[in-house]
Amino acid sequence: MSITVELTYDLAKLLGTRHLELEGAATVGDALRLTRVHFAEQQADFDRLTRVTALAVNGVLINHRNLWATPLAPGDRVSFLKAAAGG
Amino acid sequence: MIKGYANRILEVDLAARTFSFQPLDDEIARLYIGGKGYGTRLLYDTTKPGIDALGPENPLIFATGPLNGSLAPQSNRFAVVCKSPLTGGIGNAACGGSFALGLKKAGLDVLVIRNQSPTPLRLEVDGDAGTVAFVDATELWGRGTSATQEALGKSGYHAVIGPAGENQVLYAGIVSQERIAGRTGVGAVMGSKRLKAITVKGTAKLEMEDEEKFKAYTKWLRQHFRAHPVLGEKLRRYGTMGIVNTTNGRNILPTHNFRFGHHPHAMQLSGEYLEDNGLVGVKSSCIHCPVACGRDVMVDGARVKGPEYETVALLGTNLDIVDIKQVSEWNQLADDLGMDTISLGVTLGFAMELQELGMLETDLAFGKPEGISAMIRDIAFRRGLGDDLAQGVKRLSEKYGGWSFAMHVKGLELSAYDPRGSYAQGVEYATTNRGGCHVQGASMYMESTGPLTINPQSLRLKAELPVVQQNLACALNAMVLCMFSTYGIIPAFVHRMDPNSFLYRMLVGAFERSGPMYRWLLGLKVRPLLWFEQWLTYITGQTFTSGHLQEIGARIFNLERMYNLREGLTGQDDTLPPRMLHEPTFKHLHSGVPLDSLLPRYYQIRGWDAQGVPLPRTLKKLQVRV
Ligand code: SF4
Repeated sequence: MSITVELTYDLAKLLGTRHLELEGAATVGDALRLTRVHFAEQQADFDRLTRVTALAVNGVLINHRNLWATPLAPGDRVSFLKAAAGG
Repeated sequence: MIKGYANRILEVDLAARTFSFQPLDDEIARLYIGGKGYGTRLLYDTTKPGIDALGPENPLIFATGPLNGSLAPQSNRFAVVCKSPLTGGIGNAACGGSFALGLKKAGLDVLVIRNQSPTPLRLEVDGDAGTVAFVDATELWGRGTSATQEALGKSGYHAVIGPAGENQVLYAGIVSQERIAGRTGVGAVMGSKRLKAITVKGTAKLEMEDEEKFKAYTKWLRQHFRAHPVLGEKLRRYGTMGIVNTTNGRNILPTHNFRFGHHPHAMQLSGEYLEDNGLVGVKSSCIHCPVACGRDVMVDGARVKGPEYETVALLGTNLDIVDIKQVSEWNQLADDLGMDTISLGVTLGFAMELQELGMLETDLAFGKPEGISAMIRDIAFRRGLGDDLAQGVKRLSEKYGGWSFAMHVKGLELSAYDPRGSYAQGVEYATTNRGGCHVQGASMYMESTGPLTINPQSLRLKAELPVVQQNLACALNAMVLCMFSTYGIIPAFVHRMDPNSFLYRMLVGAFERSGPMYRWLLGLKVRPLLWFEQWLTYITGQTFTSGHLQEIGARIFNLERMYNLREGLTGQDDTLPPRMLHEPTFKHLHSGVPLDSLLPRYYQIRGWDAQGVPLPRTLKKLQVRV
C-alpha cells in the first residue's frame, strides 16, 4: 500500500524533496515513523521543525480524527502543516 | 463634535462642477463610526431604490474613520461605498496606500462624488484653502495606474483608476500607491463618472481626546506587533503568500476552477519559495504599518510588485499554473490596468472550464500561460471575448452556460478559500452582503489556517462564528483598520502549542462547544481590551469595548442587508455555487457545504425571519433606521 507524504517547506528543504512515497503505513503513526527514517541524519532538525506542526490526512487534521491511530488507505496524502495567515 | 474626526464632508457634483462642505453628522458617526458604516448610511439615505449602478445617480463615497490619520499601525485605509455594478447590491472596498492619510490631512472625513462628467476629469482638493479644482484629464485617459500616479507627481495623495475603470470593467478597482480597492467594481463606478483621479492635500492634524495615552499605548503596541508570531514574523517575512502551503495541505486551495482543493506543485507559489530563490525585492507597507506584508518580486532582473495570496491562488493554481514569475507579471499588469485580481482569476478559470467542456471557443486553457496577458488587456479595453469576460462569471454563465461551476455569490467572484473545507467560511460567503468575499469576516482563520482551528467540517459554531466575525469586520471597516490586525488577537503562546497535544485539543474542544457563550462573551461591554478598542477610546473619548464593536458591526451589517433587500436581492441569494454544495473534494464526504443545515440557525442568531429578512425588533434594537 502506497501513500504520499507532503512535507512543510522547511522539511522539504532539509531533505531536498517535497513529497515522499511510503509503503506499508497503515496509520498516521506509521507514516510519521517511516518519515522520520528519511531524516535519520537530521533527527534534531526534524524534531525542531515538527514541534508545532499539524498533520492532516487528505486535508483533514488528525486531531479531529484519531490522532496517530488515524487509519490510512492506499493513495492517501499525509500533509505536515504550519499555521499561517494570509488574505 | 467628536474627537478623531475632521468634522467635514465634501460633496462634489461632477456635472455641475460645483462643491460644498458639510459638517459631519455626529449621530451617524456615533452609530456607525465612519468608513464603510458612515458610507453605507449615506448611500442608503441619499439614493432612490433601483438606480443604475453605472448611471449618474450612483454616488461614489470615499470615507475614513477616526483611526485614519493617526500613527496607529495598520490604520491608514479608506473605504469606498456605492451601489455595485457587479452585484446590484451594496458595493464597497477598502484600500491601504496613502489616500486615507491624504483625506484626513485635507480635513475630510468623507468625500462624496455625485453625477457624471461628460469628459475625462480629475479633481484636486486643497483642504486648507477649501477649494476643489476640476481639471481636464484627457491627457491621462488611457494611462495605467502607475503612469497616472507618476504624472500627478508627489504633491498630494492620489486615488486613480486605470483603463479597466475607464472602460467600466465590472470588477475594476481604485488604486492608491500600490494598493487597490479591488472588489465589487468601485473602479467601474469611478470610470462611469469619467473621473480619472482625485488628489487631496492639506495640513490638518488629527485631534485626539487623550493623545498622550494614545502615543504611549501605540509605542508599546508596536513592540507587541514586532514580537507577534504572525504580525512580526510570518506575515512580515513571507507576506500573504506564506499561507499557500497551509491552504494546499488543508485541501482548500482553489485548483482548476475550484474543482480541486490541492495542487501538487503549489509550493512553488509560496512565500517561502520566493524568499529562498532570491525573488523577494523590497518589502513594502501601507503608511505607518510595521507589518509590511507587501513585497516586490524580481522577474528577470526587474522589480515588479509581488502578488498577494489571493492572486497566486486564483491566477495560479486555479488556472493550473505554478510559475511565480508569470503570475507576478499578470498581477502587475492587472494592477496597472486597475482591476481586481480575485474576480479576474476566477473569471479566467471559469472561461477555461467552459473551453475544456466545449462550451466556449477560446485559446485559453488550463495550464497554458500563453494568451493570458493578451486576454487581460482585452478585458481592460473590452475587446473581443475580453468584453464578455469583463462582466464577471455570473453574466458569463448566463451567456455561455455553466452556472453550476460559476464561482460567485451574488455576482461577486469567490476568494481563494474553498468552503468545502471551511464550513463557517461557506456560511460567510453565502451571507456576506457584498457577495463571495473573505475579508468581511475571515472565519477560515479560525477553522482552517490559523493556530487554533476548530473542526471545519462539523456543524459546531459554524453559524455563530460568521456572525461574530462579520460584525467585527464591519466595525474594523468603519474605523478603517486593516483586517490583518485581527491576526494579532490570538496570543503568541497558542502559536507555540503542539496541535496534537492534549491541552490544545481541550482548548479547541471548549471553543467548539462554546456556542451562545462565545457570542455572549464577545457582546460584553466591560472595558476596552483589544488595541483597536483602546485606540478608539483614546482618540474619541467614548468608550469602545468588544460589545460596542459587535453592536456597531451588527448595525452596519443589517443596514447593508436592508440596502440589498431594497435593491431586489433576497434570501435566495444567500447561497453558494452548486459545485460548493454538491461536489465533494474530501475523500470521507459525499457532498459539499451543508448550507441548508446552517443557514436557518444563522438567520435566527441574526434576528432575521426564515426568508432572511431582519425582523422589526432586530432593526429597532440595533437602531437601524429604514
Ligand atoms: S498588514 Fe499589510 S495590508 Fe495591512 S496595513 Fe500593513 S502593509 Fe497594509
